[in-house]
Parts: sequence; C-alpha cells; structure tokens
Amino acid sequence: MFLLRRLGWMLITLWVVYTISFALMRAVPGGPFSREKQIPEAIRRNIEARYKLDRPLVVQYFDQLRPLVTGRWENGRLKAWPDFGASFRLEDYTVNEVIAQGFPVSATLAIFALVFALMLGLSAGVVSAVQRHSPLDVSFMAAATLGIAVPNFVLASLAIVLFVFVLGWFPAAGWGTLKQIALPAICLGAPIAAYIARLTRTGMLEVLNRDYIRTAYAKGLHERRVIIHHALRGAILPVVSYLGPAAAGVLTGSIVLEQIFSLPGMGNHFIEAANQRDYTLAMGMILVYTFLLYVMNALVDISYAMIDPRIKLQ
Amino acid sequence: MQFWRKAFPYLMALMAVAAVAWAVSFGTLPPADFAWQNGDEIKTVDPARATGAPEGRILDAVFEGLLRNAPAGPRQANGIQPMAPKPGVAAAMPEISDDGRLYTFQLRDDARWTNGDPVTADDFFWSWRRMLHPETASEYAYQLYYIVGAEQYNTAQVAEGDKVEVELPDRPDPLQAFPRGTIRRGILRRIVPAESASQDTDDADAAAEEDARRQAYYVVEVKPEVDGQVDWEATGETQVFSIEPASTTFRDEETQHDVQTCLHVLIDFEAAGGVRVLGPKQLQITLKNRTAYFNSLLAFYPLYPVNRQCVEQYGSPYWTKPDHIVSNGPYRIQFRRIRDRVRLIKNETYWDADNVHLETLDAMAVKSQTTALNMYLKGQLDWATDVPQTMIPELKKRDDFLVAPALITYFYRLNVDRPPLDNVLVRRALNMAMDKQALCDYVAKAGQQPARGLVPPGMAGYEGALAGEFNVTRARELLAEAGYPGGRGLPRIEILYNTSEGHQAIAEAIQQQWKNNLGIDVELRNMEWGVYLDTVSKTNFTVARAGWIGDYPDPNTFLDMFVTGGPQNNTNWSNAQYDRLIEQAASEPDAEQRMQLLREAETILMDELPIIPIYFYVSINMVHPEVQGFAPTLQDVHPLMNLRIDRPSL
Repeated sequence: MFLLRRLGWMLITLWVVYTISFALMRAVPGGPFSREKQIPEAIRRNIEARYKLDRPLVVQYFDQLRPLVTGRWENGRLKAWPDFGASFRLEDYTVNEVIAQGFPVSATLAIFALVFALMLGLSAGVVSAVQRHSPLDVSFMAAATLGIAVPNFVLASLAIVLFVFVLGWFPAAGWGTLKQIALPAICLGAPIAAYIARLTRTGMLEVLNRDYIRTAYAKGLHERRVIIHHALRGAILPVVSYLGPAAAGVLTGSIVLEQIFSLPGMGNHFIEAANQRDYTLAMGMILVYTFLLYVMNALVDISYAMIDPRIKLQ
Repeated sequence: MQFWRKAFPYLMALMAVAAVAWAVSFGTLPPADFAWQNGDEIKTVDPARATGAPEGRILDAVFEGLLRNAPAGPRQANGIQPMAPKPGVAAAMPEISDDGRLYTFQLRDDARWTNGDPVTADDFFWSWRRMLHPETASEYAYQLYYIVGAEQYNTAQVAEGDKVEVELPDRPDPLQAFPRGTIRRGILRRIVPAESASQDTDDADAAAEEDARRQAYYVVEVKPEVDGQVDWEATGETQVFSIEPASTTFRDEETQHDVQTCLHVLIDFEAAGGVRVLGPKQLQITLKNRTAYFNSLLAFYPLYPVNRQCVEQYGSPYWTKPDHIVSNGPYRIQFRRIRDRVRLIKNETYWDADNVHLETLDAMAVKSQTTALNMYLKGQLDWATDVPQTMIPELKKRDDFLVAPALITYFYRLNVDRPPLDNVLVRRALNMAMDKQALCDYVAKAGQQPARGLVPPGMAGYEGALAGEFNVTRARELLAEAGYPGGRGLPRIEILYNTSEGHQAIAEAIQQQWKNNLGIDVELRNMEWGVYLDTVSKTNFTVARAGWIGDYPDPNTFLDMFVTGGPQNNTNWSNAQYDRLIEQAASEPDAEQRMQLLREAETILMDELPIIPIYFYVSINMVHPEVQGFAPTLQDVHPLMNLRIDRPSL
C-alpha cells in the first residue's frame, strides 16, 4: 500500500517535471541546431522537418511524451521502455543508449564514494566519541568541519595537485581503471564522510550515557563489543536517515566532478545536453535524476522501518 | 520484520561488497599508441551529417574522399607545413576543362571498402545525392551547391519542363529515407496549385509556401525505363502526383487522372548531369561556374563517400555503429564510449596501409581545457588541442608548445541599422580607437597578430586590404565629424559576447580603450552560447563578438560572408558593388585577376567597416616530442596517418 501510493505520486511528479522541463527548454533562446556558422534557410527547414521541430509545440509535447509512456515497439515486441527517443546532438545514439552507458559510470562512482564515506565517517565518528576531547577527536572534527565547508570542486583541484602532480599516485583524469576511479570517488565522498562523522559522534555520545550501555559494561562485556554491537546500533539511525540526502548529494555532486575528471557519466551528459539544447537527452537526464532521487528516498524510508521498530510505513 | 532488522547491517555490507566487486570487474583497457584531446563528443560519424573540428579529425581518419589534404613541399620559415589536396580515392589529380567547369576523375583500382568491395564512381554519385536529399538534412549540403543541379535538388525546387524524379510512398521502412521507394522519372509538364490553397500572394509566410508546395498537383510525363535506363526521347504516360493531395482525382482539360500520393518531387539529379558516372572507376563533375577552390572542397569530409549497402541495410543512425559501419579510410572504428573516447584501429585493407604507422589511436572526448592539460602533462594524452588561456605565458616557454598562424579571424560585427553605428564615420572612429597590438600583446598573449583586414595572411597570391590604423587623434576627429564631439550625445553601445573568460578580457580591454581614447562609455553583455547565437542571428545587438574559421584556403571563404542577405552577414550591411565583385570573382578564370577582384571587395569592406577586425588567431597545439610527422598548418588540420612515434623500444 505504501509502495503503491509512493508509485502513484512518483508518476505524477515525473509528469509535472516533464511538463515544466519541456516548457523551460523550449522557452530558452537557441535550439539544438544553432551554430556560429549560420546555415542557409532552405537547409534549416530541411533539418527542422527531419526533427519535427516545425510542428506546433503542443504536438511536439505529445510526440515526445507518447513513447515515454508506451515505449518503442518493433514487430510487436517491446524494444525499449520508456523510449526517450534519439539524441539530437549525439546522432549516432538514442537517449536510452546514452543513459545505459552513462549510468554504470555514475553508479560506480556513487557507490565507491558512499562506501568510502561510510567507512571513513563511521570509524572517525566512533573514535571521536569514544576518545572524546582527545587530540584525535579534535583533529577529526576540525577536518570534518573543513570537509563540509569546502565544495568538492575545490577539494578536487587540491587533490589533483597533491595526488597527481606532487605524489604521482593517480592519473589526472579519465575512466577505465580502478586508479582512475579512486580520486573522484574520494573527492565526492569526503564531504559526506565529514557529515557522517559528525552525526555518528553526536549519536554515539548520546547513546554512551544510556543505562543499557552501562548495563552492558557491567555484564563484563568487552569494550569493542559494547561499542559495535550495542552503542553503534542505536547511534547509526541519524546516519541512515542521512543516506537519502547523501545519495542525492553524490548524484548531484558527481555532475561537477565528472566534468573535472572527464568521466563519461550521467552528470557530464546532463550538463552537455543542457548546453547544447539536446532536447531529448536533457529530458531523459532530468527524468532519470528525478526517478533516482525518488527511489533513494523511498529506500531510506523502508530501511528506516527495518532498523527502528518504532517506525511504521504508512 | 525482526529478521530483516537483524539482517539489515549485513545486507548493507553485502550490497556494498557486491557493488564494489561489480565496479572492479570492468576490464582495464590497454592504452592506444597515440591519444589526443578531441574536444567535444562528436556528433556523428556520418560524413553527410557531421560538422565541426572534432568530427573532422575522426572522419579524416575513417573515410577518404576523391582527394585528401596532405603535406605539400617543405615547411616554411615560420614553421608552417603547406598542405594541398592530393589524390585519395582518385588515382591522380582531376583533368579540368578549359572553362574550369568539368572535372574528370579516374579512381584508383585498389581503393576498397572495409567489407572488401571496391570504391566506385557510383559510390560517390550515390553518397552525394544522399547528402543533398532533403530528408538527410545535411548542414553542409551547400558545399555541393557548386555542382549543377545540387541546390535545386537539395531545396526541392522544380519548374515546369524539368526532368524530375518522383518517389512513391512504398519504402521498405517508412522512417528511413534509404532505401528509397519506387522512383518514377519523367518530365514535369505542369504544376497546378490546389484549389484550397490561398491565392493571397502577399502572405509570404514560409509555412504557407511550403503547404502550397505540398498540396500542389504535379503533372508528370513519366518516361519508360529499360534496364534501369530512362528513355527520355520516348513518349511517356501522363501521371499526376501530389505530396498531400486534397483530392483523389485531377481533371485536366479533357481527361480525368487519379492523383497518386508521393513523398518527393525533386529534379532528376542524374539527368541534371552535375555528377556523371562514366564507368565503374570514372567520374565526371560539372560545376555551375569555375570554382578555384573546388579541389579543396573535394578533400573536405562532407564530400567523403559512404557505403550504400551498409546505409541501406542498417539505416540511420544504426549503420554508424562500430559493428556495422563500412568505411574506406586509413583507420577503422573499433569501439566508441560516449563522452569518453573513440578507439580507432589501423585499416589493413586501406590502399596505402604501408604508410600508416600507428596501430591504434584514441580520440579522447575531453572538453575541459585544464583537465586536458593535466592529462597531457601526465602523459595520458600525446596531443592537446586546446589549452587554458591563463596558462599560455607559462606554457610558451616549453619546446612542445607549437604556435602558428591560422586561418581564423577574431572580429566584432557592427549592426549598421542601429544608431550610432549606422554612421560610417562612427564605425571608422571605433576601429581607429582600438589598439589591436596592445590587445594581442597584453590580453590574448599567445602570439596573435593584430588584424587590419578580414582575410588572414598566408593565402597564396592574395594581398589583403587594410582598414584604418590605430590613430587616436584621427578617431576623435571622425567622431566629432559624425556629430558626437568628445562622445557627447552618442547613443548607447553595447558589446555582446558569449560567456568566456577570454572574450570577456578582450571586451573589457576594448571598453577601456574606447573610454580612454574617445571618451565613450560602452556596456558589456555576456550570454550563454545558445542564447548568444540566437541573438546574433536575429541581429539583435549593436556590437557582437565573432570569429570565423576559413573552410578552405581562399579569401572567398571570408569575403562571401558579407554579401547582401548572406546567412553569415548578420550586420544588416549591404553593398551592391561588393556583391557584384564577389560574384565576378567566382567566375573569373584568371587567378591573378580573381585575387584582384577579391581585394577590391575587401577594400570596400574595410572602408565601410560593418565589422571591425581585431586579430588573427594562432593555432595552439601541444605535442609530445617523440611524435614525428606533426607540424602546424594554416587550417590546423593534422592527418593522423602521417604520424609516427619514436619511443624507446619497450
């Protein structure tokens, strides 16, 4: 029931997003075929006819919407659903192909960034909480404050100078090897790690003073067991609820980083599609991003209910 | 729920491990022999549909035209390697008739497609007609307009008495223009407008005109065909066609005809005789007028042939997939990763494969200049084509930083319909108040040359005209003569440029110079690229930045921009004598005389100044020293098949 209602709202959201994006894209001056080198009028008309841009906007609106709902059929078999159509500027590809190539790149990057952020953030947060006010705690929290304040593209520039040029550990940019993933993933995950560290520390401090922790110690349990099994379980809840916004942050943050590190991911395609007025590709990207954010949030709600027995899905 | 609650942390951990494992499983790619920064992701590898330099570099490697640009002679003193069209698929340079209109080519016997078939004269005929077909919607179709019949075919102009081809709507795949439906060929006897069409001629609306064209009845005398050859002399059968018939029957004076629906009524490109297939390996091209630079156009990628069988079998855009594409150049496409790279691999069936040295090439779609420079400095790229402007003073000290003059002019368009720029004295004053040398030395900084004319130096046999020199006193006098002494009462001027640090720096410097030298306040306005293009094409500006890259090494590519109503004019400027000179030059047989005519035209342009030339660009390339065979050229084209790498053997 919960999922069905969520699904219904998602479809409505997607439709509203589609409509607003369509209107905005067509309202912006310049089209996918504006060039510095102007083309003769007759040729321009041939091009507009080919891409059906000469039709009334209402017709274009439904022409683009229809395959999104029905998908593309060939000889009675569903070939693609939803069908975003052919890209205006990457002519040799359909938008579905662009997404199919770009999504794994962004997903890989996001996963590495989140795993890195969770590992670093949780351990730093736990250490800080346990060794409260120690030099370690102070330096972790200082680093965390800095990590939240510094935008990831600044961090990326610094990281390139340090790790690529001074230390020479990683290649400068590009996609294909693990080494090439490391640097962007770290830059993407760092602000999130910082946030998680602070959340974990606060949560841990609150939990460590509870009676049941004292009981656990009193039973003679080892400190490590108390912290990992008893305290962390209670302290992690704010972190889990932060994962939704974190996933969103990773998705949007990677838009900038993919440019800096020249990664062929969704963010790169998104920016270029908007710049080049690639109507179909931009629309595909917007809808996929909307969908992803929606799903992320739904997943967080579900996982919340799994961890905390007090929460019921409604 | 209890179980899920217990399992959750492990589930998360498992998911993370699985995701990382999946991410790691992407195989690593062996590096190519040579990788370069190709800039933006290419639009397409279909020669008829491509535009732009990144596409050009790939297409030059993957396809080959009748001619190809190749080094010609030793390098000049300034380091420039002269380039000239050399035989490609053609066995030798064409025989050109005395009037310069007839080009006869003999094709080489060993030119082959990657599927093993020979490249024939028919391939060129078919490819060019495809490029001109209205449904191909080629942006560069006008590069073929020099050929007889090409423009009419492309723009679907037909007149009574023309030999026409009519395509019926029975294509195997309605969404693909090729293979085509049944073609009826004959002579267009009459065009009858549909009754419903409005006879209101002052409604010159383009859409209404198009509707009228589609609804009209075309009365065609369809000629009989024997063995694929049309017998134009025989008496034909009268048939009536219409693209969007309003009625199913058409009444002639005496008889009633059924109206057949058709897709296109175009002139018969074969019968027009612009391109004639004389034999499997013999091709003849007829031009409308003598065109001095036609050989350069034949070496330009839009005119490269495509494989008919491949295009018809897979259709657009699927035929361009690396698995399907059939090409004829020195390299083949191995695979493509969108906005990452195009991997090229040597084509062993290429006729000159012995002279292709590198086995694999990577065209990297790196757009950020800084990223590209980082990759170049770390050895991930062997050739960087675009470096950050702020780094130029630093990079200039390096040996691998190659700067050379290029056929590109940076200029400002002036809208001559808008006061005060409608006054030629103001335009001259603005030009003379501009210290272009200082702009080059202190703002652009890469070695650009100040421009006093539109046409860059380096065109063989051409001496450019010069606009007024930097002269503050004279500029002030001119402004006073125009009625604005000391700039008083001058209507607002605004410089428009597309958002970019480089253009902004130039505009700010010019703003400062005009303020200091003329006492006028100019406003600056930057716009995002698409919006800027739209504004310029609507001539909705007073002053706008512009740049022009020569399509071929001839002054005409710069000068024919400013003919009255030309698509690139965008200044509202019009001069009848200028138009006449450009037209005369187009058909002038004597090379020297022709250059003289073009020079006269440029003199008018530099006197009237609908544009202010600012500087001539330089091409900037950074190439690793072990790469051999790379030299700066005027058009900044660098055939990849000529490159070698002398790396210490591994």
